[in-house]
Parts: sequence; structure tokens; C-alpha cells
Amino acid sequence: MTTFRLLTATAVGALVTASAALAADCPIKIGGIAPLSAPGTVVGGEAMREAMLIAQEDINAAGGVLGCDIEVVIGDSEGLPEKGAALMEKFITQDGVVAVGGGYHSSVGVASKDVAQRLETPVVFAETWNDTITGDKQKYIFRIAPLSSWASATIWQFALTVPGVEKVAILTENTDYGIPASEETARGLESGGVESVTFSVDIGTQDYAGIVQRIKAENPDMIITLVTGEAAYNFTQQAADAGIGPLDLPFVTGQDALESGAYWENVPDGQYAFVQRIGVPETEFTDKGREFAAKYKERMNKSDVESYAMEAYDSIAIIAQAIEEAGSTEADAIVTALEGIEHNGTLGKIYFPYGTGKDPSADGKGDEWWHQWPDPALTMIQYQEEGQDSTGAAIVYPDAYKTADPVFVNQ
Amino acid sequence: MEFPLLFWGVLAWMIFWAVAGAILIKRRYLAQDLDTSNASFIGAMSGAALGPVGLAAVWARTPKSSGYLTTALGLLTVLIVAVTFSFADPDNICVTSGGFVASQFVNGLIIGIIYGFMALGLSLIFSILGVVSFAHGEFYMIGGMVVYFVTAVFLPGINPLMGVLAACATAFAIGAIFERLMLTPMYHGKIDRPIEYGILATFGLAFTLQYFVQALVGANPVKAQRFIEFPRWRFPAEADPIWIKTSRGSMTLFEQVTISSPRFTAALTCILVLLALLYLLHRTWTGKALRAVSQDREAAAIAGIKPDTMNMLAFALGGMIAALAGALLVQAFSWLPQVGAIPAMRSFVIVVLGGLGSLPGAFLGGIMVGMVEAAGTGCVPDPQKAASYIPAYGMIVLTLTLLLRPTGMFGRRFASGAHGQF
Repeated sequence: MTTFRLLTATAVGALVTASAALAADCPIKIGGIAPLSAPGTVVGGEAMREAMLIAQEDINAAGGVLGCDIEVVIGDSEGLPEKGAALMEKFITQDGVVAVGGGYHSSVGVASKDVAQRLETPVVFAETWNDTITGDKQKYIFRIAPLSSWASATIWQFALTVPGVEKVAILTENTDYGIPASEETARGLESGGVESVTFSVDIGTQDYAGIVQRIKAENPDMIITLVTGEAAYNFTQQAADAGIGPLDLPFVTGQDALESGAYWENVPDGQYAFVQRIGVPETEFTDKGREFAAKYKERMNKSDVESYAMEAYDSIAIIAQAIEEAGSTEADAIVTALEGIEHNGTLGKIYFPYGTGKDPSADGKGDEWWHQWPDPALTMIQYQEEGQDSTGAAIVYPDAYKTADPVFVNQ
Repeated sequence: MEFPLLFWGVLAWMIFWAVAGAILIKRRYLAQDLDTSNASFIGAMSGAALGPVGLAAVWARTPKSSGYLTTALGLLTVLIVAVTFSFADPDNICVTSGGFVASQFVNGLIIGIIYGFMALGLSLIFSILGVVSFAHGEFYMIGGMVVYFVTAVFLPGINPLMGVLAACATAFAIGAIFERLMLTPMYHGKIDRPIEYGILATFGLAFTLQYFVQALVGANPVKAQRFIEFPRWRFPAEADPIWIKTSRGSMTLFEQVTISSPRFTAALTCILVLLALLYLLHRTWTGKALRAVSQDREAAAIAGIKPDTMNMLAFALGGMIAALAGALLVQAFSWLPQVGAIPAMRSFVIVVLGGLGSLPGAFLGGIMVGMVEAAGTGCVPDPQKAASYIPAYGMIVLTLTLLLRPTGMFGRRFASGAHGQF
């Protein structure tokens, strides 16, 4: 009798899986947003694209989802909000994706989330930091990147630990990432009694000669760069040429410096720069993180793995797990599965404690915690040797992850 | 700004009399049946600089106004704005620090020379072919890419001059082949709407080059090493301030003005090549033939000049000039397949500002845009806005110039198929 029940249960299970697979069109399509053309951050976009394609391969090699292979449809946002919104519309209405992952620029996230919400398609944003992306408490929008306010806090808290800093110059891009991040950074610095002056530029600015002279005239003790893409490379090297670069004073450069090959080629005088990094040091990677890092490095012929690549991988993997757990590609079922998910990703255990089941206000949290992964590790690294890989660079802040003391060039 | 009312009040006064001057002097010229092409500009400048007094003087002396007077009035207008600004915002760094002003001036001049040089190529193409090349930014991009791949990938350690020459040769060849294959049919009656065809064909070339390069080399930013590294040097060694101090990547003048090695070499090379280009155009048969075609295509053909060959040469030379600008700047900026978009847009602004088809206009327009951008970046009081508005500064100058002088600073009215005169 027990054997009969077991066989029956197995048969029913197989039938359910098969019918779910039949219900879904194979392959199951998932959108992947990445900036692959200027003025977007192409370095980051290419890293994210490859990471999402590796996720697709890994998931399909493990048997796919609901008996189907998945197909990650990559789209180029160009880092522009209008392109991002159009891309989201195309993904959903033309490509027939059931969910969307990836995303690098906050302005793209802010513009495209409303499209996804309107068309009722779940999105797990990978690297869009602006607080309002989750702060609008939209049903279909999730995020595994840190909030902009958390990321900014790491930078200004670190700046307050730098000895002798009384005035900081902040260079920011006038985007949905840069503007709030610079405001939060300035407020944080002020709370520690440090004066700041903010200069804002267009995304994709090449020539910083004039603004560098103006920053130099302010005589800052430290410079913080909140600019993405090659614009950050241009600024850092031009500042170095003018005598206010990473070799001259504490200098936080843009996050794209994590792409160390491109960084050293574009910023030959970039030694001692500080860079913000998301995720734990490589020595503390999860098994999945190590496995992904090895594949990614081999495929990209790189010696390091950037945090945004890991986030992109996880954004696809978590969607795939949610579809599997939902047993359906239906949007509401995926959202329900995401709200209850525990995903062991490359960045750690990913989950979303707040959503329709529990409002953030229940724990005294702000709206931005809605559908937000609460545990991304945020660190500051420093290139203490010329030509160093980002994964081999010293982690100098916070103490919990610290691997070396920071070098302050002006001390 | 400490006294905004003072600044905006004076500006409003100047604008009021400039508008009044532009309208009244133009009417005055019309009433006397005179050429009105410069009337609005003279009226506006006299009104802005000297108010009703200047306007009355110009009115009374019409048409006895020279180019020198107009230039002097224009400079006086700029001076009045600057002096008013210094009184309105006495703590502004542009007022309190001479060293800062000098550094912004030099920055503006250097980048302006490079802008002007790039725009020169666009103007050359327009003046001969009558085509606005929308692929100009892509020639600029190709120049930088060739230098990078020659000097950093294929033959690392080679003299950068070889890379620059390879960039020029590549752009010249692409330009010549494209012109012969795609643009020549325009001049033989094979195309119904040649102007539109020319625009679309160069658009097509722009997209082809951009995406071909992206497919070939990827879209990661690359950068060539500095062509020249200065030796460490101080002159005079014991002076205070030191007149010239050099480090590996930059030169500092009087301990105030810092010029990076890439910008210095780029600006210097642009000036030298500009002189060579002027020699070519004014002292050689080929240059005279190019100028002849720009003035009157049919007459040039009757004199034994082959206009088609000159077209090909002009397009190739124009593309080569843009490529040279890119080849020189790839050591200063990170380089991507899309890097040409902003410089190309700026070149269009400069060419229209200088006057379509005018080579001196293009060069001076470039310097003017460079200086205005430097002044805006340096002096706009709010640091959050100063650099954000960089693309707008050139557009403001362009708009004002076109309002007062629709042909641009050095432009002429088109006549009998000629597109300009350099």
C-alpha cells in the first residue's frame, strides 16, 4: 500500500511538473537589462551581460525551470532613462519575458520600474541604488543592490575616519543615482563636522579640466567621486594630472574602478585610490560565489570579479528559483514566491523580509525597505599597489571586513 | 552672488538696449536700402555696450560703421558684463584669484584650439561638397582607436607618431573611398534630392563605423599612454614663484596654471597642422584648386580643375583632420566607439557659429566656445550648476550669434552653388 501511495504521489508530482511546463512556453524568457553603449557604463554592462548569460547556462545545465530551459534576453539601456523605459516595454510586450533582472543605472531603474509595474511583470533589479526604486512600494519591484543611502553612508562614514579631513569635494553625476547620493554624503559629512562642496556634471562628461581647477581652488582634504563609467576614469586621471589625484590626497573614485584592467589602463596614476565594493571579500565567498567567480574570470579573461557581475547573476538565478517555487510563470505567483524566497546566491543568502505580507513600517523601517534585500555587504577597498586586481586590493573599511590599514597619501 | 540685483539689473538694461538697437538699426539700414546682414549685430552691440548714447551715435553715423567698431563694441560689451559680475559677486573665485582666472583662460584656449581644429574639417567638407558630414565624430573616434591599437596592442612601445600617422592614413583612405563610392553620384544628376541624400549617406557611414568598431574591439574604454612625458624640471630653480615646473604628466606655469602633457601636445600639434593646412590651401596648386571649387564649381571645372577629385580630397582631408584630433586626444580621454558623439555635436555648433564654410570662422568659433565653456565652468557661482551646463554654454553663444547675425561670425550668403569661401 505504501509503495502504491509513493508511486501515485510520484506520478502526480510528475504530472504537475509536466503540466506546469506545458503551461509555460519553452524556453522561459527572462529579460536582462545592461548598459552596453555610451553614455551608459559599458564596462559594467558587459560584465553584467556575461554574468546573466552564465546564470542562464548554469540554470539550464541544472535542468532548467519547470522543465523548460530559460533564455535571458539581453537589452541595452544605454544608461538612459527613456531607453530603459522603452526597453522594459519591449521586453514585456514584444519579447514575452516573464520577469526581468539586471539593471545598472539608477535613472534607468527609476524610469523602467513604472513600466514593469503597469504591465504587471516582476523585476529584480541588480545594481540600481536609488532609494525610490523600492521606496514606491510597488508590487512587482524587487532589488538586491544596496540602497543609495546605505552606500553613501559607507563612503561618508569612511571619510570621517580619515585623519585631518576638514573639507571634502564631491563630484557627482546629475542622475537619479548621483544627486541623492551626493546629498546624503554631504549630510553625513556635515553630521561629522566636515564641510563639503558638491560639483555636478552630466553623465558621460569627458573633459574635466575646468572643474578640476575649480575643485583644486577649493583646497579640499579629500575627494569623493560619485560618477559612473569611463567618466570616473577621466575625472580621476585628469585630477591626477592637476596634482589632486589619488597620489596626492585621499581620493574615492567611481565604482567602475573595480574593473581593474580597464582602471589601470585609463588611470595610470590611480594608485592609492579608494573604491566602494559590494559584497564580501573573495576569501569569504559562498560556494556558489566561488564557482561563479571561477567561471566568470575564465570567460572574461579577468583576474577579478566585480560586485555588479555577481548581483546580475543573482538577479537571474533568484527569478529562476521563484518561478520554480511558484510552479508557474504567472506574475502574481512569482511575486508571492519572491516574497517568501530564501536564495543561496553568490552574494550570500538573499531574501526580502518586507512586502505585501509585512510592511516595513511594522519594524519602524522606511518605505525603501520594501522588497529590498537587507544584507548586502558594503566595503571600501584601496589599490595600494600599482596594477593591483580589485579582488586582491586591501579592504580598509569597515573593521568587520578589514584586511589592511588604509594608506593616506597626504599624511 | 552677493548683489544679484545689480548683475541682473545691468544685464536687463543691456539686453533691452541690445534688442532695441538690433531692431532700430536694421530698420535704419532698410530705410537707406543698405545691406542689412550686419545691421542687427552692430545695433545690438552698440545698444548693449553704450545704451541709448551708443545707439544714437550709430544711428546718426549710419552706414559709417566698420568691422573694427563692431568688434570693439562686442569686446566692450563682454568687459561691461565682466566688471558688473565682479561688483555683484566680489567673493567669486573668478574675481579674487588671478591665478585661477589664468588657469581657466589657458584651459579654455587649449581645448578651444582643439575644438576649432576638429570643426575645421567639418567646415572644409561643407565648403567644397555642400554636405554636412554626420560621420565627423566617427572619424574622430577612428583616429583615437587606431592610435591605441597601434601603440598599445599591435606594436607596444612604438613611437606614438607612427600611430598618429596610421590614424591619419586610415581616416584619409576611409574618407576618400566613401566619397568616391557614395557621394560622387550626387554631382552627376543620379540623385533626386542630393542634399538629403548627402545627410543620410553620412549618417549611414557614422552608424556603420561606430558599430563596426564596437563589434571589432568591444565597448570597453581604452586609452593610449601619454605621447610625451616631461622631464622633472624647475626654472629658475631658486625663484619664487617658479616660472615653469614640470612633472611626468604636467607642466605648471608660475605655480598657478597646470597644463597636462596630453593637452599640451594636442594643442601644439593642432596649431602646427593648422599652419601646414593654411600653407596647403593658400600656397599650393591643390589648395588653390580646392578654394576655386569652393567658390564656383563650374568656373573651376572650366579652368581645368577636376571638381570630383577635389570633392574626394576635401572629404578625405576633413575626415583626416577629425581623426587627427582624436589621435591626439586618446592620450587625454578614455576612448569608446561612441566617444565622437559630443565632439561632433560641438563641431556643428562651432561651424554654424563661425559661419558655414568659413575656416577662420571654424577655428575662432572653436576658441570662442572653449573660452565660454571655461568661463562658465569657472565663474558660475553655484558649483552644482557650473559644470552641468557645459553643453549649454556653446548653445547660448550660438543662439545669440544667430539671432544677430544669421550667417554666423564669418559666414557669407550662398550664391550660385558655392557653399562658402575660405
